[in-house]
Formats: sequence, structure tokens, C-alpha cells
Amino acid sequence: MRDHENHLSDEDLLLVVDGELSGSRAKQVEEHLAECWDCRARKQRLEKTISDLVESRHAEFDSQVQPSAGARALLKANMAQIAAEPAVPQKASVRVFRSGRVRRTVMVALAAAAVVAFIVGGVERVRIQNSAVYAEGPLEPRPTLTPGAVRAISAAEVCAVSNEEHQQVLVIPASVKEEVFREYGMSAARPQNFEVDFLITPELGGSNDIRNLWPEPYRAPVWNARVKDQLEDRLRDMVCRGEIDLSTAQRDISADWILAYKKYFHTDRPL
Amino acid sequence: MALPESQFGFPSVLARTADAESEAACSETETEVIQLFDEYRSRLLRYVLSIGLTAAHGEEIVQDVFLALFRHLRLGRPKDNLRGWIFRVAHNLALKTRMNEQTRPDRVEFNEIVAAAQVDPQPNPEQQLASGQRQSRLMATMRALPERDQYCLHLRAEGLRYREIAEILEMSLGAVSISLSRSLARLERADRG
Repeated sequence: MRDHENHLSDEDLLLVVDGELSGSRAKQVEEHLAECWDCRARKQRLEKTISDLVESRHAEFDSQVQPSAGARALLKANMAQIAAEPAVPQKASVRVFRSGRVRRTVMVALAAAAVVAFIVGGVERVRIQNSAVYAEGPLEPRPTLTPGAVRAISAAEVCAVSNEEHQQVLVIPASVKEEVFREYGMSAARPQNFEVDFLITPELGGSNDIRNLWPEPYRAPVWNARVKDQLEDRLRDMVCRGEIDLSTAQRDISADWILAYKKYFHTDRPL
Repeated sequence: MALPESQFGFPSVLARTADAESEAACSETETEVIQLFDEYRSRLLRYVLSIGLTAAHGEEIVQDVFLALFRHLRLGRPKDNLRGWIFRVAHNLALKTRMNEQTRPDRVEFNEIVAAAQVDPQPNPEQQLASGQRQSRLMATMRALPERDQYCLHLRAEGLRYREIAEILEMSLGAVSISLSRSLARLERADRG
């Protein structure tokens, strides 16, 4: 209550506005408000301040809240990845999700958000005709659908043939491409926005089996096809120089190509 | 299709196939997390922005929060007051991120980050004319409040109850109520100019 005149305190006014008072106290305050114009005027000023504050916050921050489609798709992909791991109790949650893998996906998330901002902002005329489909597309191959598959080929054979020749041998038939889109639940996606790509590149002995194929967005912002190409070249060079086994290269690129990039280029970001 | 005869798939270790039962339970949890994501993403982002982080960090934190929630629910942890839980994790991560940014010498000053985050990339001139001045005065007053008071105010603005705010910021209920009331009084005075 407010000193000598028994008016309501600022705190009481706010508590009643916010519905935080209990039964009998709420009743007392309501009764006082009914009889006291002074307090009612103060209550109205308080509500006005609250509504001004709400408006100011929206004006200031809403423009920075981008559409959620990309972030939602990413969250789903990350959950699917976590779901494939055994559910082991972890010590401290905050530490757990700061693992390198999630770190990476978070970078992709940022990039995804940036792409959405980029598209919405129309800074450059990017020819992405269906951004919603693009945003719902996979940012990484899914291990259950695309674990990777290889041909029976030795390191010597891999190194004896040029990259172009490897590519020429392994044509991906249109029917297989369609099947890749279907298994990723992207039948409605515009094929021109995606490349059906090899997870294990043919130059490392990868096959054109559907288990080695995934729809890679052309314009993935950070970890895109160009970056993956660098890794493929690096791995092939290392295999051909005898620095790593072909099977190691195949396993690393198929298990997690982004992690493999970081490992072989000793960096957290694409060079 | 022209597949060579010699082609073979990867060993089964790489071709992970999940157990059908746990997959069903997981997809239920996934649906729950996505629902909460849809409900709270914008509010969480706004909260994190309002306490001085960039939109990029905000997106990162929100992803982390919901992945943590997914793990939390998968382990069968308590489901009561998930809203409070979500905001508490976001708040702690935001402070941690902010601290890391402040201590990184190769980064721009934290104040610059805050300033950058506060610039509307596409200001609407009409809006600015009508209420911009008052709004920026209000926001300036708010940024001058003690940090804890700002947290309380922003959490309340995102719809949290006093009890939840008290838990998130580890304060007593009374302290939350005093903080909010004091901040609003200051804002009101600033608004009257």
C-alpha cells in the first residue's frame, strides 16, 4: 500500500495487472481500484508503458527474426542424427551440445539463416525459384539413406585413372535421380536447385549405387559442393601419395565429410 | 543403369538402421520438440537479441537449446515447466556466448556488436517518423537499466510468469516483482520525458 493515503504501491499495481496476486489480496486491490481514480489512472499509465515497451521491442527486434523454415529443417536433421546415436545419459547438458558435431550444424544453421535473409532481402538476384523447397532440403546426407557405397577398386586403380574418367564411367540415370529425391521426401523439389551428388566421389572409388547418392543443394552457404570438391581432391592426392589408405578416405568422407574436411585441412571453416 | 558387377555396398556398420521401436519413440519426441520450436523460436530469438546478442548467435543458441531439449526428453527427464527450462538454457547460453565474445581479442568490441544488433537493417521511414523517437528513447532507457532488471523485463515481455523468471534468473519471487515494477516506473518517467 502506498504510504499515508493508503494508495496501492507500484508493485501492487503491476502484480494485479499481471494477474500475480492471490485470491483475497487480488480482491482487496480490485476493490481499491474500483473506488480510487488516482490508482486507476496510475494503472492505466502503467499499462500504457507496457504497451509502448512491447511495441518498441517488436520494432527493434522483429526485423532480425528470420523465417523459421530453414532453421526448423536443420533442427529436424540434427535430431535425426542424434536419434541414430545411443541414448546415454550425459553429465551436463550445456556441455554436451557444444560438441564439435553440433558446432558444425550450428554453423550450417547460421548459414541457412543467412541464406533466408539473403533471399528475402533480394540483395542479389539469386535464381532460387522455390526457396521454401530449398530451405526444406537436406543440408547434409542422411546416414540411413546415404551411408556411402564403393566399387571394388584398389588404390592403384583409383590413381591410374583421371577424375574425369571416373566421372564418365559413373553416369547417374534419371530414374535413380528421381528415386533419390523420393527417398529424401523431396519429390516436389525443383531438380535445378539440387545436384544429385556422390557421397564418396568416384575418384575415391565411390559407386553410383543409390546408397551413395544424395540431393546436394547447389547454394549451400558454407559447406557446399565446392568445399567438398576440395576435400575430394585432397583425399585422392593423399591416397595416391600413400599417406592414407583408400578405405580410410572412403570411411572418413562418408561418415562425416565436414568433419573430414576439418581434419584433413586442419581448420574449422572452409579455406 | 550401368552398375559394374563388382560393386558392393559398405559394411553394415556404416549402413546404420535404427531399431523400429526406439525410432517410433524418437519421432514422437521429435514432433514434440518441433511443436515447442514453432511456439517459442521467435520469442527466444527476440529475448537473446534483446540482451545484446547478434542474430547469428541467436540462431545458433536457439538450435542448441532445442537439441538440448531433444536430448533432455529422450532421456526421460521431467517435462513440467518446459517453457521455463527452454528459457533458462537459452539465457545461460546467451550469457556464456556473450562472455566468450567479450574475451576474444580478435573480435570487435561487445558494445559494437550490441550497436550493430540494434540497427534496423531496413528502417521504415514512416514508422520512424511516427514513433521512432519515443521508441528509441524507451529502448535507450531500458539499456541503461541494471542488467538483471533488463533480463526480468525482457523475459516478462516474452510472456513468462514471475515464478518462471525467478527460476531462470535464480531470484526470489519478490525480487522479480520489485525489479519489474522499478523498471517500468523508470520507463514511464523516460516516456513522459
